[in-house]
Amino acid sequence: MSSLVAARRRPVRPASIVAHTVLVAAAVVAAGPFLWEALTSFKSLGESTQVPPTWLPSTWHAGNYGDVFDGVPLWDQLANSVINAVARTAGQLLFCSMAAYAFARIEFPGRKLLFGLFLSVLLVPTQLLVIPQYQIMQDLGLLNTLPALFLPGMFSAFGTFLLRQFFLALPAELEEAARIDGANPLRIYWSVMLPLARPGLVALGILTFIWSWNDLLWPLIVNTDAEKMTLSVGLASLQGQFATNYPVLMAGSLLATLPVLIVFVIMQRRVIEGIALTGSKG
Amino acid sequence: MPGPVGTAPRHAVAVSPPPATEAPAPARPRRRRRYRPAALGWAAFFLAPTTLGLGFFYMWPVVQTVYFSFTKWGPFGGHQWTGLDNYRAIVRDETVLSALRNTVYFTLLGLAGIPISIVLAALLARKGRRGVTAYRALLFLPVVTMPAAVAIVWRWLYNGDYGLVNELLSHVGAHRTYWVSDPNTALVAVALVGIWTTVGYNMVILMAGMEAIPRHYYEAAEMDGATGVRQFFAITVPLISPSLFFVTVLSIIGSLQTFDLVYVMIGRTNPALPQTRTVVYLFYQKAFIENDRGYAAALAFLLLLLIVIVTAAQFRLQKRWVHYE
Amino acid sequence: MVTRSGRRAGTRLATLAVGVAVAATLLLGACSSSGSSSGSGGKVTLSYGLWDKNQVPAMKRIAAAYHATHRNVTVNVQLTPYDDYFTKLQTAAGGGEAPDVFWMNGPNFQLYASNGVLAPLTGTLDTKPYPASLVKLYQLDGKQYGLPKDFDTVGLWYDKKLFDAAHVKYPDASWTWPTFVDAARKLTVPAKGQYGTAALLTGQEGMYNTIFQAGGYVVSPDGKHSGYGTPQAIQGLKFWTDLIQQKLSPGQQQMTDTAPYQMFEAGKIAMYWGGSWDAVEFGNNPLTKTQADVTVLPQGAKRATVIHGLANVVFNRSKHKAQAIDFAKFLGSKQAAQIEGSTGTVIPAYAGTQQAWIKSHPQFHLQSFLDELPYAQPLPVSANTAAWNTLEADILTKAWTGSTPVDQAANNQAQKMDGVLAKEGK
Repeated sequence: MSSLVAARRRPVRPASIVAHTVLVAAAVVAAGPFLWEALTSFKSLGESTQVPPTWLPSTWHAGNYGDVFDGVPLWDQLANSVINAVARTAGQLLFCSMAAYAFARIEFPGRKLLFGLFLSVLLVPTQLLVIPQYQIMQDLGLLNTLPALFLPGMFSAFGTFLLRQFFLALPAELEEAARIDGANPLRIYWSVMLPLARPGLVALGILTFIWSWNDLLWPLIVNTDAEKMTLSVGLASLQGQFATNYPVLMAGSLLATLPVLIVFVIMQRRVIEGIALTGSKG
Repeated sequence: MPGPVGTAPRHAVAVSPPPATEAPAPARPRRRRRYRPAALGWAAFFLAPTTLGLGFFYMWPVVQTVYFSFTKWGPFGGHQWTGLDNYRAIVRDETVLSALRNTVYFTLLGLAGIPISIVLAALLARKGRRGVTAYRALLFLPVVTMPAAVAIVWRWLYNGDYGLVNELLSHVGAHRTYWVSDPNTALVAVALVGIWTTVGYNMVILMAGMEAIPRHYYEAAEMDGATGVRQFFAITVPLISPSLFFVTVLSIIGSLQTFDLVYVMIGRTNPALPQTRTVVYLFYQKAFIENDRGYAAALAFLLLLLIVIVTAAQFRLQKRWVHYE
Repeated sequence: MVTRSGRRAGTRLATLAVGVAVAATLLLGACSSSGSSSGSGGKVTLSYGLWDKNQVPAMKRIAAAYHATHRNVTVNVQLTPYDDYFTKLQTAAGGGEAPDVFWMNGPNFQLYASNGVLAPLTGTLDTKPYPASLVKLYQLDGKQYGLPKDFDTVGLWYDKKLFDAAHVKYPDASWTWPTFVDAARKLTVPAKGQYGTAALLTGQEGMYNTIFQAGGYVVSPDGKHSGYGTPQAIQGLKFWTDLIQQKLSPGQQQMTDTAPYQMFEAGKIAMYWGGSWDAVEFGNNPLTKTQADVTVLPQGAKRATVIHGLANVVFNRSKHKAQAIDFAKFLGSKQAAQIEGSTGTVIPAYAGTQQAWIKSHPQFHLQSFLDELPYAQPLPVSANTAAWNTLEADILTKAWTGSTPVDQAANNQAQKMDGVLAKEGK
């Protein structure tokens, strides 16, 4: 990076030192707890409760991780979290882009009204919907099943709004060309609009994936068997069982968040750009 | 992710300034406005899944919740109409009042995190800053981490006897306490964690806003002799006000719905529960622990009204301080 | 740009594949159902709900034993952590989805039985082999809804090493409240963060015992009044708040941050009022398994301890009620009790099967828990126990933290609790 540019030696300005000090301090506050979490997860309970605290574990107790698996069916819950997140993301990408296309590019009567209706959904807090949604799942006989986790989450007014913005920003000429070629709206949507709206799709996909993974309230309510819960609920339940056995809890937390952390580290730029996009386009 | 934790991103965009993108019908010139008969069919096709899904899972439940708020439920299901009973009970209930108070405190404290985000964004958005990617990634870690995990880790850090926070504080000679179990400190302790999880998110949005500011504004101000600080307040802040507005509205809506953090960090036997119980926590308690669903529905509806009012007020006020290009 | 490159098609194909996968999962999910399912050809699967993972192996063995003699019935054990157990059960029951057979405890029994959620046990029942107070616990309107599965009492666990270090004699059956407090004083070493005891804010292990020992009661025999306002009850509560005030016990905030049983396991608490169920935990923990022992509770104005036990009950809307009732009765049989006892996880309720439990951790004087049976009093319950339990958590916490004087809190509790009990009468 810029540090390779040795030719132009920039003097280190005092303001720069201050800035970096602040940034480093903030970074330590932001990332330090994770490091502490990892270190604690390998300590024995006795060692973790020593005062003053030790930094590195004297012996590395990988057994804590085993206790996590005893406490909750971690593999099942991991699978559920993955299925939940993937299903919601796939559903939203498909359904929201379809609706967004219609709002952006198809003239039809009542379009403004319908869009307004969609927007109004955005103002409603999730909690307001939870009881009736629970009843619906009960009536459908889907309580305590996997589909119950992701079904409502596959439809989103936010996703529709976001993608509509992207579609609107695309030039109309490409569409026109396709239409003149005789393509019907489905073809235009699939072959022309979607590829062009890639940044928007990526942004929505990432956001939805992360949010689905972390969702707590809905999975907590709708599924009762430990094997059908997601990792977030499993983690809360782990705390109920291990109360204040912090090393095991730390191990559990790490295991539960590791997948998203790995995804984040790999796709870091995309994630952050996606977030920034929602803020600016929105 | 927007707001403290666990809030659906769908709230994120509702409150961004619609006028800029909504007002005229897109792309097409007016004169070509004839509805092709097939258009309706196609529109129906594309809209069907989301409309049906939203209607079935979101819009109809709103109506149902309002209906439920006028009913009383038995412990094992079944309900009967009781009119305004639930609302009357809510008004008389002191736990509702304290939950409301706690929620407002959380919201105000959450806003305190925004200046921090502004400063960090300003530091990172500066051209030629080294290590931006690394800093940004580290600062964003709390945002993507599961709220339950965040809560557990911070409970450990806050532990009165063995936690790192007290350990560090004792080196500085500051007061130690049982942060999460002391009724006097619990709310602040939890709110700080809420800030911790959102600073990175707000920062990224504000950075995007800052990077969009044309450099020549700064150059012109430089030539006029304005200092860095003055430039910051005279140029940066006004020009990022749309992003600031976005971030503020998100923060408030998110804070008003705080649940995950309190649910995991504060247990039911925690002496500090009455001082940290938020409206949504109370809702969960009423609906799924005490099985008083009618009451909970009424509570949820009132929360909705609160959010609508506060958001509308913010939109009204934005004319005063938000500058659009 | 707009090219039909292979990569673009690949992405679209991927989306399509995911969409199909999702649809498939949906269909599969919609076809399966939770709760019990009936097989074809007379085969029946029963679901059995419980919350203690330590007992799952024993329960599975019992289920297998039942299957050996009833080849057409398979029992599926469903574990839900205790914190979530009754919340979920209540909602599931409301929707007709509860397990066919499930564990029930005293505090929740009347709520379920009085709302018709449980099926009374039919056929011949021999209730003599079980503790009488437990049999009554699971009766309503003259009908028996469950056979006692196990029982537990509360004893005094103590740390031998801490006693040796302070040169205090180990507790025994002669101890009284004053002896106990005196020992606690000698065993509190502030410099080491060591406390003589822990004043748990729980009923079963803490205050109900001392209320009984003071001669008081929590719920009146007719179920209509709270006993909290009586001088005896206040004495029982003061026993604990005094310990906190004199710093012979950690404060409420500290005990929330770190669970007292963990402090006991860390050698920071010398005497711990705990249940017989703690034998498993303390028997496994590296420190307590050699350092801890147990004896009967000290005596107040009289001797008392809280006895409680679970029962296996049947869901009234089970699709296989007859088989479920039969399995529930088997769960109460001597054979089942012996299997339970052999794993040493709980004390089986069936008379004469407790020896295996006593021998499960020979280093502890587990016989103490059985010695307490003659003067054990049942856990206080009512039709809506949860409602006034919540009151206890809200109101008594303030007495524990010292922000409200004990008698004021007790009277407040009594008043509000009377209100709750009155509403139950309908």
